[in-house]
Amino acid sequence: MSARGPNSTMTRPVIEVEDLVKVYAGGARAVDGITFAIQPGELFGFLGPNGAGKTTTIRILATLLRATSGVARVAGFDVATQAAEVRRRLGLAMQTPTLDTFSTGRENIELIGRMHRVPAAELKRRTDELLELMGLTAVSRKLAGTYSGGMRRRLDLACALVHRPEMLILDEPTEGLDPQSRNALWGELERISREGTSMLLTTHYMEEADRLCNRVAIIDNGRIVVEGSPEHLKAAIGADTVTLRLEAHGPEDLARQQAGVRDLLDGFDSLEAVTPETFGVSLSIRNAGRALPQLMRSLDQNGNGVRLVGLSVAQPSLDDVFLKYTGRRIRTEAADQPIILGW
Amino acid sequence: MTPLIGDLFYESWYLGLRTLRRFYRVPANWIGIILFPLIQLFVFSQLFKDIIQLPGFRASGSGSYLAYLAPGQIAFTAFFAVAWSGSAILVEYRNGYMDKLRATPIRRVSILFGELVPLFFESAIMAGGILVLSIVLGATIKTGLFGAVLILVLSGLFGMAWAGTSFIPAFLTKSEQATGTLSLLFFPIAFMSTAFVPPALMPGWLQTVNDWNPITFLIEAIRPLMVSGYDWGAIGKALVAIAVLGAVLQSATLWAFRRLTA
Repeated sequence: MSARGPNSTMTRPVIEVEDLVKVYAGGARAVDGITFAIQPGELFGFLGPNGAGKTTTIRILATLLRATSGVARVAGFDVATQAAEVRRRLGLAMQTPTLDTFSTGRENIELIGRMHRVPAAELKRRTDELLELMGLTAVSRKLAGTYSGGMRRRLDLACALVHRPEMLILDEPTEGLDPQSRNALWGELERISREGTSMLLTTHYMEEADRLCNRVAIIDNGRIVVEGSPEHLKAAIGADTVTLRLEAHGPEDLARQQAGVRDLLDGFDSLEAVTPETFGVSLSIRNAGRALPQLMRSLDQNGNGVRLVGLSVAQPSLDDVFLKYTGRRIRTEAADQPIILGW
Repeated sequence: MTPLIGDLFYESWYLGLRTLRRFYRVPANWIGIILFPLIQLFVFSQLFKDIIQLPGFRASGSGSYLAYLAPGQIAFTAFFAVAWSGSAILVEYRNGYMDKLRATPIRRVSILFGELVPLFFESAIMAGGILVLSIVLGATIKTGLFGAVLILVLSGLFGMAWAGTSFIPAFLTKSEQATGTLSLLFFPIAFMSTAFVPPALMPGWLQTVNDWNPITFLIEAIRPLMVSGYDWGAIGKALVAIAVLGAVLQSATLWAFRRLTA
């Protein structure tokens, strides 16, 4: 059964989105002209605050929501007109794990596999394999309703993988997990990615985007504000941040010491900015690691009454990237779940 | 089999098995379904024990009021099995499981069939439970095992048809509270039926109502199977009544489901 679709070229993007717009019935423009492409094998991240339009874009790609305008293709198939072909090639895990709580872990995986028409013998083999991989073999005969948060996530991921999708779409895959489970899940995702599955994930945790993604699109108010590899984006910020903690007696003393630091570092090579802070001073310095010895010598003039009590160096984070392009920081509170009210 | 029918059968089968698991793994489900009809059967059969001596009852062939009551309580059980049947699908509409299924390459309507078809078995099995209990309490089953199977099939079909009364308001309002609103119309309709009193003892207008009451058709098909023998005419009428009821309610359900998942 061959459906129409340019499957021949190896370099064809797994996901192509052109000028995608979604305006909800109430008039809200959730997605406001998004264009991007994901190449085979890439792990692509949507980084942005809650309400930026990440989930809406994903729901359109997963054929669950119709776009107002624009084109979206998965493996060359149009999500609007060739939904069945798209669904065959897509694995999906939404923000909160969606499981049948009165079925066992095994039954959950098998049901989704059957809906994808995985042949019975193959399904048995893959289910065993996925349960093993996700560390769920011991609880495979327990009802999914009894699983912990981390176990639910892993089971949900197993369901999304059972038909060997070309493309895996994950909406906030580690939302609500404790740091330990998050780390474990990151490891899983890296492994799945190494095995060649292309992946699109959304997140509002920059550590997550930074650690996992080859490429990140920063999305805000339904638009992509900047796109690139995390290293590239951070490098574009330029300087590192050096924080100097000063011991001061009152605001006047602090101001005097801040002026002192400014004097001491006057003409310091690679220094870009000196910003007064309530705890002391923060400096923007290019290649701060290399400049550190020189910096220490300059500050050690024992003059100007500068009493340095602490120093730390931070490289730019994706949060700084977000700040630079949007003027705001990404909120890290838990996502607001929309409440669907009936009558 | 055309691909469409094959797909629907395959998908509804596995989705239906899941629905049945959800049903039998929670004992509260079947206790809740069987309790009220059992109480009615037990209490009313004691309370109105001597009512059976009224002349109108003789025509029914029932030897005791309990025997007279039993067919109606089987219908009540079939109803209770489906009274809130719309809520499970709403829960999954809301928590995203329905999206998970919709993101797989299946026919959308299979999701509905996977909920609806198991209701036949849930209604039939629960009706079987009350049938056994009523026989234990003193009712009879003159037609034996085959008659009993016929009773379960009729109950299952009626349950499936009546389930529309829960699905329709559920899908249209997206509110779990609404799942039991329309379906509870069963009560007035059942109380007007021949579940408790034979038509001969009813005022004229109620007799006219019962010429059109689908619950009466169901009960009057079950009754002879329990107390006398096969009344194929009554069974045929019951099947037609259930088919008409089911066609009306389930077409509306299908329309409401498409609207919900549009």
